Amino acid sequence: MFESLKTTNREIKAYSNVLNQLVRQQLILRYRRTVLGYLWTLINPLLMMIVMAFVFSSLFHAELETFAVFLFSAMIPWNCFSAVVSQSAGSFINNESLIKKIYLPKLIFPLSVAWALLIDSFFSFIALFALIMLIGGKLSWALLFLPSAYMLLFIFSLGCGLIVSVATVFFRDLQYVIAIALQGLFFLSPILYKSDAIKGKVAWLVQLNPLVPFIELFRAPLFESSLPSPSIVMSSIAVALVTLVIGFIVFKRAENNIVFRL
Amino acid sequence: MTFVSVENLSINFRIYHDRSPSLKEYFANFFKKKSPTVSTFVAVNNVSFQLSAGDRVGIVGHNGAGKSTLLKALCRVYPASSGNVQVEGRIAPLLEIGAGFHPEFTGRENIYLNGSILGYTKSELQGMESDVIEFAELSEFIDTPVKYYSTGMYMRLAFSLATAMHPEILILDEVFAGGDISFMEKARARMHSMIDKANIMVMVSHDHHLISSLCNRVIWLDHGKLIADGSPDEVVNQYLNAMTKMQ
Repeated sequence: MFESLKTTNREIKAYSNVLNQLVRQQLILRYRRTVLGYLWTLINPLLMMIVMAFVFSSLFHAELETFAVFLFSAMIPWNCFSAVVSQSAGSFINNESLIKKIYLPKLIFPLSVAWALLIDSFFSFIALFALIMLIGGKLSWALLFLPSAYMLLFIFSLGCGLIVSVATVFFRDLQYVIAIALQGLFFLSPILYKSDAIKGKVAWLVQLNPLVPFIELFRAPLFESSLPSPSIVMSSIAVALVTLVIGFIVFKRAENNIVFRL
Repeated sequence: MTFVSVENLSINFRIYHDRSPSLKEYFANFFKKKSPTVSTFVAVNNVSFQLSAGDRVGIVGHNGAGKSTLLKALCRVYPASSGNVQVEGRIAPLLEIGAGFHPEFTGRENIYLNGSILGYTKSELQGMESDVIEFAELSEFIDTPVKYYSTGMYMRLAFSLATAMHPEILILDEVFAGGDISFMEKARARMHSMIDKANIMVMVSHDHHLISSLCNRVIWLDHGKLIADGSPDEVVNQYLNAMTKMQ
């Protein structure tokens, strides 16, 4: 395990140039030849969230500004996570022509997806943060926790992304299953509601949802202007590390077979 | 010290007789303990050879003999199913040029994208950029997305980039070149200088004259097995005799 970790690390370093190029490719290409270009990365989720804020604040009889900050603080980690998981699904399949013709360490494909999306998420975070401040969020020292929150979220998302990227190569149906699963997970995550608000039959599902602590990591500093509780920090560290280790093991076991199954 | 060492190399492909199993079928089969309908196809079967500096190797064999699979195994595209491959030295896989070109990227961006995939460092790429563009005769169109390139332009750029550096180990699948007559001349000259300068060269071709003129050693593969390994005249003749007998 440690030996393979070391060789993988060495390979990724040797191919870091390719990794950079793949990340660049994803960031640049999406909006090439559109007038607003990269701004779409910001506008798209922003508009979506504003619509959601209007609809659900009136549905829940909540004050619009407060609800908007509440919602946005959870949508930041959710958007990042769901984008990494759904786009990782195609990370090997979309690069089939490359993988079959030239040797590249396989890890750089899901890694470049997660990396590019982290950068996207960071920029949309800045836009959302400005919006939160504009509609009444408070500046506090707790905001300094956010880089650590991002790091934990990235580790968790990358772990899930690795599992999904490998699994989709072997079971193509997963591409479609993932879209539905993510939709379900969205409603089972405390994004539109507080984490203790759900009662009844599905409450245990929300309890099991591994994404919950990560949402709290963002919501505490942004919405409550406080640090997340130590138990939440500890559980998110544990979940993130375990997921990444599982992801890495799944990847390592399948690594050599990927090229034969594309 | 450049060398290539192949020991008891086998590469197996799994062939699915219907289609790749869905998740549902996988679990259904898993519980029924029924294995999916697959059979193994051995593309390269227990092949061993050693190459050292100065070797110019041609690989011959019928279609589907495992020649390209063997080359891809040398370039690490296919991992060994059993046995092992050891390569020491900077290897240039000229298998299919233009692999990794992105149609939406401009020629210049593709030099950097594809160049990094081919293993060039950023500073090497900056150094070779103008030479590559000049050799490809594309200075006018280098900032146009390559999806608007003609086939010839595309091939010229890919060729110029792939051959911009002199590798220690050169791997060639068939002889590839594109473009008009004048470019072909230039490309051929560059190919020959690359072959001359490489420490080790391995090529696959169906053109026996080309193999006889470029190589000093020939390996004959048949259905994945190594049948003969020796001097070009000897092995090519053996191979041609076997072929005519079959007909």
